[in-house]
Amino acid sequence: MNDDPTRRLYLDALMEGTEPPETSLRPLVLTAARARRRPAAATSGWTAPFAGRIAAMDAVLGEATDQDWGRQVVEGWTLQELLAHLAAKDGLVSLSVDAPVLGPPVTVNEGLARTAELQEYERRRAPDQTRRDWRTQADALCRHLASVAPDTPSETGGFTMPVVDHLLARGLETWIHTADAAGVLGVSLPHPVPGHVEVTADLCARLMPLAMRLSGHRVPEGRAVRLALTGPGGGLWHVPLHLGGRAVRGDGPAEATVTCDVVEFCFLVGGRGDPGGFAAGVEGDAGLARELLHAAPALSGP
Amino acid sequence: MEAPVEDDRLLHQRVVGGEETALGEIYDRFAPLVFGLAVRITRDRVVSEDITQEVFITFWERPLAFDPGRGSLRGWLATIAHRRAVDHVRTQERRKASVIGPRLLEPEPERLEDAVLSRYEADGVRTAVGKLPDDLREVIELAYYRGRTYRQVADDLGLPEGTAKSRIRMGLRRLADALAEEGA
Repeated sequence: MNDDPTRRLYLDALMEGTEPPETSLRPLVLTAARARRRPAAATSGWTAPFAGRIAAMDAVLGEATDQDWGRQVVEGWTLQELLAHLAAKDGLVSLSVDAPVLGPPVTVNEGLARTAELQEYERRRAPDQTRRDWRTQADALCRHLASVAPDTPSETGGFTMPVVDHLLARGLETWIHTADAAGVLGVSLPHPVPGHVEVTADLCARLMPLAMRLSGHRVPEGRAVRLALTGPGGGLWHVPLHLGGRAVRGDGPAEATVTCDVVEFCFLVGGRGDPGGFAAGVEGDAGLARELLHAAPALSGP
Repeated sequence: MEAPVEDDRLLHQRVVGGEETALGEIYDRFAPLVFGLAVRITRDRVVSEDITQEVFITFWERPLAFDPGRGSLRGWLATIAHRRAVDHVRTQERRKASVIGPRLLEPEPERLEDAVLSRYEADGVRTAVGKLPDDLREVIELAYYRGRTYRQVADDLGLPEGTAKSRIRMGLRRLADALAEEGA
């Protein structure tokens, strides 16, 4: 009934009301809100995209009933086990930069092994304890990184990248699993703000040369794709596909143009969606474009 | 005036992402509306401040209960405020063991969006419009009931656009006053 003119008039008139609440109410509201739901650990700087996804997952968890915690979400994991998985991988990034690692000591620095270890530990705890542990781990990592340079090398799970890229990857994985959880709970999950989508898409574009190599393509230097990502946070990327090629924002000589939705592309790279049936417009070398789309999920895991 | 949907979407994304400053912006934009609505129903400023606080805290705590694809943020907040205010009045009425007045007899809304304005209250709004001075009633009727834009209202009446805009605002303010007094 948003279109009902009387309703619209009524709300418009109330917004022009001349007796607002006391000014002292505003700080009370903000303080009380903070106590009810923890704000993101960072809302600016390079850790903000990750911190935002943690806060969003926490909001989804706030919608879960007691029964929901035992429901399988993805990979045969319950919501509680999924959180332990996320905490395990956040913890490995923490380990790489000497930030606090929660839970039992890390015996193997590898994602799935650590996941199993932490799931074993968390299964013996109540879901809200697991939720608290996961959030505490993520926030501790953010706090620690506030004084770390983003290009600091980090070796996480046997894979070395600047720590900012590991954190963006953590943000993407958290986002994707939040969407998994939201789907099971029947909650509609909004996208991250466009600025956070953009840096995530940038990481995905930059991972493409490696994804091509992992998929068995030995691409000679000079072959490149123009990635036209649509929607808020999208844009144009020039993506050289040879190993060591560096994707950059903007345009350049390319043999194919792949046009698709920016969020769908991020999710494809994160292992969601079928590369064969992926909705993308292709111009130029269709074979190369297809190779890229099929290679895109190569770096994704559970 | 109703904010564009894209604005709502971005604010919602920011709140879901845990950005406290977004809640501050939402509060600044909608607190007068939420508070005014609560005062209108409860006739009690102290209770209305409690309701205002609870509306914004609830939105922050459970932002996913709102879906910008299904309605405006303004409408959502107004709906929660309306419900809480009506609940309060009902509790009071029950406590006084008095007969529940006709304005509280509205049926439980199936769709949240319908909840803010009962037929009884809508009649009150239309009556208040009818009592506006001619020049203000004219612009309000054109802008709301004939779907004219500010520009068109100005053209229809041969007024500069700024004058048409300020007349509409004045009309809205008069209406707000009339609604606040009505039934008091």
